[in-house]
Amino acid sequence: MQAEAKVAGISKAPWGVAWAALTFVALAVGFDKAMTAPTEATMGNLQRVFYYHFPHAIWSYLFPYLNCAASLLYLLWRQRSPERAARADAFAVASAELTVLYVSVGLATGMLWGRAAWGIWWTWDARLTTYLLLWLLYVSYVLLRRFAAPGQTAVVSAVLAIFAAIDIPICYMSIRWWRTQHPAPVFGGGEGSGIDPTMYAAVWWNLAAWGMWGALLLGARYALERRRQRQAEAETRMLLDEVSAPMLEVTR
Amino acid sequence: MIPFHTLSQRHLVFAYCVVWLLQFGYAAWLVAAWRRTRG
Repeated sequence: MQAEAKVAGISKAPWGVAWAALTFVALAVGFDKAMTAPTEATMGNLQRVFYYHFPHAIWSYLFPYLNCAASLLYLLWRQRSPERAARADAFAVASAELTVLYVSVGLATGMLWGRAAWGIWWTWDARLTTYLLLWLLYVSYVLLRRFAAPGQTAVVSAVLAIFAAIDIPICYMSIRWWRTQHPAPVFGGGEGSGIDPTMYAAVWWNLAAWGMWGALLLGARYALERRRQRQAEAETRMLLDEVSAPMLEVTR
Repeated sequence: MIPFHTLSQRHLVFAYCVVWLLQFGYAAWLVAAWRRTRG
């Protein structure tokens, strides 16, 4: 009962509301900075896609690691501490869905940018291919959670999550290892990389804002999964009570 | 005042729309799923 109130209380927590308010302010400032940043010399206004594409790409590399860590903890705790394992599993589900969401945005904005800049929607470039693979891996994780028969779903998906995480460093390093269609790294790409300092505010504000938004969604999705776990638990308990009641009658 | 002239590139407008649609669509689904689930 106490734990139930605690889970339900997440949505009503004052810090949650404050965090949401701060996030919306950051998103609004980020949008304003993206719109008012100086126009890039070569690509013109199209370059403004970068202010949304870059933060989503960066955060889309973090969520799979959270998913992998939570999956490892789930496998570690599932025998000794079922309650902690359930929490880790809920966190794994939440971070996997956030991965799909952020990679989807990264792919879509990248394709729109590519269509306008290169004249093509898609090419089998190293970065694009490994990023698509990342999306497919986490879509399959989410589908597995949704459609697999109950019982071993959490274990199987935890194992999938650990293997799926291998794609992240490959995807991240792809534009350093292979020089193909995708532009070279903007930050930390060596000599000649980087952007004009007048564009920094638009980049950092949007990076912070979409990170805060991601954290907000992650918290909300985690709370929802915990709520579902409790509902499933209560339903199982009710069913067991229904089955065991007539048996007790017989034994009397 | 938002300088709307910077939205002259239609692919930029599409990109912004895709971002907001996906992000707020997911947030709306979360709210709906929360209401459907008994705590």
